[in-house]
Amino acid sequence: MVIKKQENDKISVLLNDLNSLQSYINDIFIFSPLPICFISPIGVILEANPAFIKISGFSFNEIIGKSIEDFFDKREIKQAINDTIEKGFVEGKEVWFSPKEKSEMPIQIFTRVRIDEKREKIGYFLSVVDLTEIKKTQRDARRALMNILEDVKEEKNKAEEEKNKTLAIINNFADGILVLDKNDKILLVNPKAESFFEVNAKDLIGKTIPEFSKESPLLPLLEIFSKKSKEFFREEINIREELILEISLVSIIREEEKIGSLIILHDVSREKLIEKMKSEFVSLTAHQLRTPLSAMKWSMRMILDGELGKINKEQRDFLQNNYDSNEKMIHLINDLLNVTRIEEGRFLYQLVSADIGQIIEEVIKSHKELAKKRKIKFEFKKPAQKVPKFMMDVDKMKMALENLIDNAVRYNIKGGYVKVSLEKNKDKVEISIKDNGVGIPEKHHPRIFTKFFRAANVIKIDTEGSGLGLYIAKNIIEAHKGKVWFESSEGKGTIFYLVLPIRRRA
Amino acid sequence: MAKKILIIEDEEVLTKVLKRKLVSEGYDVSTAKNGNEGLAKMKKEKPDLILLDIVMPEKGGFEVMEEMNKDEELKDIPIVIISNSGQPVEFERARKLGVDDWLVKTEFGPQEVLDKVIKQIGK
Repeated sequence: MVIKKQENDKISVLLNDLNSLQSYINDIFIFSPLPICFISPIGVILEANPAFIKISGFSFNEIIGKSIEDFFDKREIKQAINDTIEKGFVEGKEVWFSPKEKSEMPIQIFTRVRIDEKREKIGYFLSVVDLTEIKKTQRDARRALMNILEDVKEEKNKAEEEKNKTLAIINNFADGILVLDKNDKILLVNPKAESFFEVNAKDLIGKTIPEFSKESPLLPLLEIFSKKSKEFFREEINIREELILEISLVSIIREEEKIGSLIILHDVSREKLIEKMKSEFVSLTAHQLRTPLSAMKWSMRMILDGELGKINKEQRDFLQNNYDSNEKMIHLINDLLNVTRIEEGRFLYQLVSADIGQIIEEVIKSHKELAKKRKIKFEFKKPAQKVPKFMMDVDKMKMALENLIDNAVRYNIKGGYVKVSLEKNKDKVEISIKDNGVGIPEKHHPRIFTKFFRAANVIKIDTEGSGLGLYIAKNIIEAHKGKVWFESSEGKGTIFYLVLPIRRRA
Repeated sequence: MAKKILIIEDEEVLTKVLKRKLVSEGYDVSTAKNGNEGLAKMKKEKPDLILLDIVMPEKGGFEVMEEMNKDEELKDIPIVIISNSGQPVEFERARKLGVDDWLVKTEFGPQEVLDKVIKQIGK
């Protein structure tokens, strides 16, 4: 009796444990949010958890005892079952599930076979994972991606179009264009540039300009490049006879960094030709004009000198006025010719060693008459330190000084003065020409040295100046590598300053 | 005997003025309007001095000098150029051709021409 009781107790404890375990398993089965059902070997649904019932849309009674095939695509589920029986499980196979009164839903099916201790198949678990949401998200993502791709494609097409447009512009540009990368390698040569140099773009791409030999048609470009490595603007190069180009080099900057350079070739052959024709015309005309003017000068000179008989005062004055007028015309034409020669580069210089002080004295002397007439006093302050002879074109230097001193005398007041000073300062000569005449109004200062410019206040005094004197003078002084500038105010007078370097040899 | 001067110049007024001046100073003056005429007269008259313009129709002053230099009888006749321009390039070329003196018409007058003539051949 005692043994039975002990055994009974053991059995009780075991039964309790078993009950607890069964209860535990049951709770999990009921709790699981994943749909799970247990199916018999021949496909009958023996058990189904609440999640399965819910997802199916059917009621408990409509599911239990029914064939699993009723709820799925028959062919698919048969396959799944076969796989389960063969391999023991199915993991994640996608099939279609047919819930009650709803459209088919895509699901993943999971199965696992159950075998007893005799290794007999007693059925299998089946669980499903609803793929509806996932599929929908996938579909939306795909659609969004397609949209993005469409947009990207469109942008790409737009960019292509822009690029093609730019390329078309470059290719059809009236100027030649070469594009260089930041290492000065040629990236692009447009058709116009090809025709200028009579080369093929593909022969140039990838090379730098200094790489080309002296025999290459790019020689003129080479020469400029070797002289100026930085940016240059409107340098002239002569490619062939009748082909003259103005070339400019600019850097291409992006976000403060140089990413390349652009060489622009502008054909100025026509402009140059026109300039040449204009210059030749002026030259010829001036020449032709001088002949009759000389004739008049000589005729009048003869009469004024009494060589054609005596003349009375009235006749003298009359003729003298005409003579003076004529002289002015001659001067104007000379100035015009000089200006044309300067512009053509034909204003040539012959340098000799000469004494600048002596030249100044000669110029002052030649103005003594005019100064006396206007009651103007000359003062020439000679240098404390002797100024040595240096290289200059004597005639041109004289011309420049004459223009300056002439102005000082002419645009002066009655009883005024002209003070000239000459100084040596280390390796330079400093000259100043000061007058207390009418002065130059502030607003005219910037244009004083330009061609044909005459300030308003002097046109009234002397109607006949050409406005070329200072242009020529500045040109001459700068050709001697000197500088000229002035200080002046209206009504107070003017000081012109010249600085010339002392060059001992050519 | 009066010294002979040949003026080769295409501008009529200038020629007239110059001739008048020189004749009044006692010279014998003949004139030519261009290089060809000038060379012909030169050969015929053998002047003591030639006043030569540069720019003339048909044959200009430089060509005249070149031809004179090739002719034994003409190459030693002194020449004074009366030019319209004062360009250094022209000076150089004339100097190389053996010119004796030069003046620019617009800068000088008949008196200066006379001075240069006297300098070359006397009164």
